[in-house]
Amino acid sequence: MNKSLPSEPIEPDDPERRQFLEKTVSIVLGGAMVSVPVGAGIATLLAPLSSDKGGSLKIRLASIEDLPSDGTPKLYQIVAEKKDAWTKYPNKPIGSVFLRRIGESKVVAFSSSCPHAGCSVDIDSDGSAFFCPCHASSFDFDGITQGKSVSPRGLDALEVDPDLLVKGEVWVTFVKFKAGVADKVEV
Amino acid sequence: MKGLFSWLENRTGIGALAKEALFERVPGGARWRYVWGSTLTFAIMVQFITGVFLWMAYSPSASTAWESVYYIQNELTFGWILRGIHHWTAQIMVVLLVLHLVQVVIDSAYRAPREFNFWFGVILLFITLATSLTGYLLPWDQKGFWATKVATNLAGVVPIIGDDLQRVVIGGADYGHHTLTRFFALHAGILPAALIALIGVHIYLFRRHGITEAKPATRVGALYYWYLLAVGSAGLAVVAYLFKDSNPPWVLWVPSLLAAGVLVRIVFLHLHGKDDNSARRPKRDGMFWPDQIFRDAIVCFAVLGAVLFFVFWKGTELTSPADPSQPYNAARPDWYFMPLFLMLKFEPFQGEFGLVLGAIIVPGVLSSMLFMMPLIGLKKVGHWVNVVLLYVLIGGFVVLTVMAFKKDSSDPAYIADVTKAHEQAERVNELIEFNDGIPPEGALSLLYSDPLTQGPRLFATNCSTCHAYGYDDDGNALDGANKKLIDKQSAPDLKGVGSREWISKVLTVDHYQSSKFFGNTNFKKGKMLEFLVDTELEEEDVTGLAAALSSEAKLKSQSDIDNNDTKLIANGFEWMGEDELACVDCHKIKGEGGKKGPDLTAYMSRQWLVDFIGNSSHERFYGDDNDRMPNFLDAVSAEGEIKQGKLDQKSVELIVDWLRGEYADK
Repeated sequence: MNKSLPSEPIEPDDPERRQFLEKTVSIVLGGAMVSVPVGAGIATLLAPLSSDKGGSLKIRLASIEDLPSDGTPKLYQIVAEKKDAWTKYPNKPIGSVFLRRIGESKVVAFSSSCPHAGCSVDIDSDGSAFFCPCHASSFDFDGITQGKSVSPRGLDALEVDPDLLVKGEVWVTFVKFKAGVADKVEV
Repeated sequence: MKGLFSWLENRTGIGALAKEALFERVPGGARWRYVWGSTLTFAIMVQFITGVFLWMAYSPSASTAWESVYYIQNELTFGWILRGIHHWTAQIMVVLLVLHLVQVVIDSAYRAPREFNFWFGVILLFITLATSLTGYLLPWDQKGFWATKVATNLAGVVPIIGDDLQRVVIGGADYGHHTLTRFFALHAGILPAALIALIGVHIYLFRRHGITEAKPATRVGALYYWYLLAVGSAGLAVVAYLFKDSNPPWVLWVPSLLAAGVLVRIVFLHLHGKDDNSARRPKRDGMFWPDQIFRDAIVCFAVLGAVLFFVFWKGTELTSPADPSQPYNAARPDWYFMPLFLMLKFEPFQGEFGLVLGAIIVPGVLSSMLFMMPLIGLKKVGHWVNVVLLYVLIGGFVVLTVMAFKKDSSDPAYIADVTKAHEQAERVNELIEFNDGIPPEGALSLLYSDPLTQGPRLFATNCSTCHAYGYDDDGNALDGANKKLIDKQSAPDLKGVGSREWISKVLTVDHYQSSKFFGNTNFKKGKMLEFLVDTELEEEDVTGLAAALSSEAKLKSQSDIDNNDTKLIANGFEWMGEDELACVDCHKIKGEGGKKGPDLTAYMSRQWLVDFIGNSSHERFYGDDNDRMPNFLDAVSAEGEIKQGKLDQKSVELIVDWLRGEYADK
């Protein structure tokens, strides 16, 4: 606010310089103020990246006598306590596992999730192999890919606790693996 | 690069559009008072951005809405900031809307040919308020739930279509999943879409007619704005003064200093006789970019600063989950609906017609007057009528708002309700942490299985007709929920039941016969009293007996002393035996003894208390000697009849766990 008023309309000292300043300030402030809500939003959007992995879960599924002695695989549901965002489910089905008895005392466990794209693997119609209906991958009962399977690896074997197995109890460590890659990578 | 730009330009015309948008002439030069429209655009943009991100985490149903907002607020990284920005921007938007309206009216920017733009603006105002109103419910907390209940009940009093309207709005006869899904669709879908469309029209019309050029005839001098600012900041200071007790001192000092500064400025302008530069000398025209945008950017930045300030200073409230069975007397609408809220308490608005008058007719007439402004303002006199009307409206709004808040802040019942609501909200958070998550049924179920929350309520309703739970400072018996007993206490005080202290008192004659224990029951005379009078127990005896009996209760709070005082406890049990005090003549103790008095095996343990409350007339307890204690669980009488209990098993357990101090506690 000038003290002595010139009789002419006020000319800015240097309009270009003033405008440059105005433009710079506008752009800087504009960027800053958009980045606050966007930043807070992106942070919440990306929050899952820093959350815990699924982790593993050791669970008792059966007694060894429950499994067919001829080596036919049997599907078991995994039911566990599960936290989904805010909800804590006391008993929630989280997946399923094939158990197969070999001989008297050996048991193998396979995740029923297809290593190709995560579809649910089943036993084929004539009961001779594992078969994934989504993209027609086929696995023998040892979990190895067979025929024209598109799956990059065989079925994922899960750890069966050997000490408890001696006592006739089948305890399996349930883990999830990344689909679509040749190596078995935990997720 | 240049080729790419010209190709884009050729195919889309985006550059021309940007030019058109940015290089708008601002007649008379850019001004600070033109910023309000831009601040609103900015605020709405912030709401859209934060709203969409909140949407990604929000789940609208009666058993997940509160829970997902809890998650956003307490667990999601930066979620509290995101929700805070959304919440506080909504508050500030209302202020910006009013400023924009005032600016338009005093500059008579609503006059021909801009009537339509004004009308669209008023519609936008109402859509914004509707968006706030629908958003208020979405957290499904006590505050939003009860406030929305009031708002939708008001919709129900609309003549003729009211009932149907209300039913459609809340998605049924009662509040639930469909109230939330509907409100959410309105809040995040229909209303924002309407906002975008109408803002488009609003800005199109604004650009079509240009900024209202400052004509000498309608020119409002800069001094006028300084006076407005003075009145505004002084008003703010007065409001801050009225509420100075509930705020830090700077809340009063900032507007006071601002008002003082503005006054100094006004005096200065008067002394120098320059009320307005631009009034004397026409200023050169400016351009929207960068002259006006520069001012817009600075004020928008300040708006964001204010929003963040509130996010960090006040936080963003989430009261406890909506519970239709627990009236929340502190429920209030958002602050800008408070005048309407208060108005409905006034005498002219009593009764059925009064409600229609206050909730529908008066707001309707005021809105209509707002709509009529462009027509009223055709003549100069009309314009001044509008300006005065607007000031009266704003003044009335401020006065009613202040009155409403003042009334609440001096109402002990309201303050008590707010405190209770805060405690309950904290309790839910504690329970969620303790439980490491929320059960699938929702957070309310945690409160309903929490002895600390339910125990006092159940006790006050079912037990305090006879029993007391402690006493206040003046010695009045309390009902468990911190209210005085309505009837005279006629059964024992149960605070600290089963503890050594409680049992010690029972074993003293004075307490036993006093109204705090058996004084107003049949047991004030009887064998137990005779025993106490005859035996004249030493203090040492009482300590030992109380320690022994109390150890049977297995109270969480006494686990340490129960474990340490094994000798004392063993002695206590020995004294109860045949050879010493012979308690076992009448009472069973550790499974052995007489049947005349109540069985003291596992005395005051969880199961003992549940059984006792369930049916104290059972032969294990008082048998036929029972005075007035009803059976609270189903029981079979001596004649083989089934006597229905007053409560269910779970409620009795909640009372017992609360009395025994068995609940999640940090």
